[in-house]
Amino acid sequence: MDGSAPEFNAIQISCLSEMANIGVGHAATAIAQMTSKPFHMSVPTVRSVELEAIPLMVGAVEELTVGIYMPVDGDVPGHMAFLFPWKSAQAFWRLLVGQAPESPEQIGELEASVMLEVGNIMNSSFLNAISEMCGLPIHATPPLLAVEMAAAILQTIVLEATATDSHALSIETKVSCEEEHAEGYFLFIPTSGGLKRLFASLGLPEVA
Amino acid sequence: MVATQLLVGMAEIQVAKEGPLFVCLGLGSCIGLAAYDPVAKVAGMVHVMLPAAFADKPVDKPGKFADTGVPSLIEQMARLGASRSRILVAMAGGAQVFNFGSGGAGRLDIGRRNADAVEAQIQALGLRCLGKDVGGNQGRTMTFDSGSGLIKVRTVTSMERALCNLKGS
Repeated sequence: MDGSAPEFNAIQISCLSEMANIGVGHAATAIAQMTSKPFHMSVPTVRSVELEAIPLMVGAVEELTVGIYMPVDGDVPGHMAFLFPWKSAQAFWRLLVGQAPESPEQIGELEASVMLEVGNIMNSSFLNAISEMCGLPIHATPPLLAVEMAAAILQTIVLEATATDSHALSIETKVSCEEEHAEGYFLFIPTSGGLKRLFASLGLPEVA
Repeated sequence: MVATQLLVGMAEIQVAKEGPLFVCLGLGSCIGLAAYDPVAKVAGMVHVMLPAAFADKPVDKPGKFADTGVPSLIEQMARLGASRSRILVAMAGGAQVFNFGSGGAGRLDIGRRNADAVEAQIQALGLRCLGKDVGGNQGRTMTFDSGSGLIKVRTVTSMERALCNLKGS
């Protein structure tokens, strides 16, 4: 199992993209309601990747980034993350609490909990949509927050994922609000075991 | 002359005759370990992800784990003529970057365990460690200029600073 990519066929992958697309639609609606601003999420990209490649997938690997990580439990476990470049995170804070910290040292309990809540709402909306479509229980666990280099944040998430897999189907999308010049990067890495259960629940057979 | 840059990605091991600039980008809980034999002029770096290989799975990449990555780095350097007794090392990383959230501090403590595991390997192999910058909450980018021997570490909030020099000067 380790060392080679789990095999998923084109039908399974396009089905996953479609489900993810509906999921991110729900997440975009949730964030729009929370902020009263129009948010757009691009059609998710589903890629088969080696986990170690993930930290370098975001362009600005050393840029100061706010990252919210939520381990996912249930029948389709995995790892879910939201990353915002610092300037976009500041836009979120201004929208939600009226002002933004100028530097990471100024992040207090209020700023941290607001950001955790943003992650919570977006991730839960995404997961609920997926859970309803496949009829499997999937739930997010309490979020964690980091304000760091993008690569360092993703690396830590990859380490958690490495406990079960060495390859993954990563589901990525961009979140943006033009009006506020805010954008973010959403990532979901289901475990390969979870994906198998997901596809089985939809009646999609394993590759011969 | 600008040195060739060797990017050492997660779980990778790179070795070379002195000259290139080795880089571990954005080390979170991972550890970057730089090594150098000043006599043979052989340099190397490993980007360790986890303390020890899984008991129930084959090791797909030796550089992934401290207990396989450090010995493998030294062995690959030895193939280029390095001698273990002369090798000098420096390490950085092992942070805990997720510091907000419920139970945050205790939940992902892999960074500390990584640092301990790499140090245990350094001791077991009898390597001399000239510098270390581990722990805390900050992600780090570590560079090793094998031409000058200089090891530098930078974070998102601090300027790049010199950690040590593996050429001893």
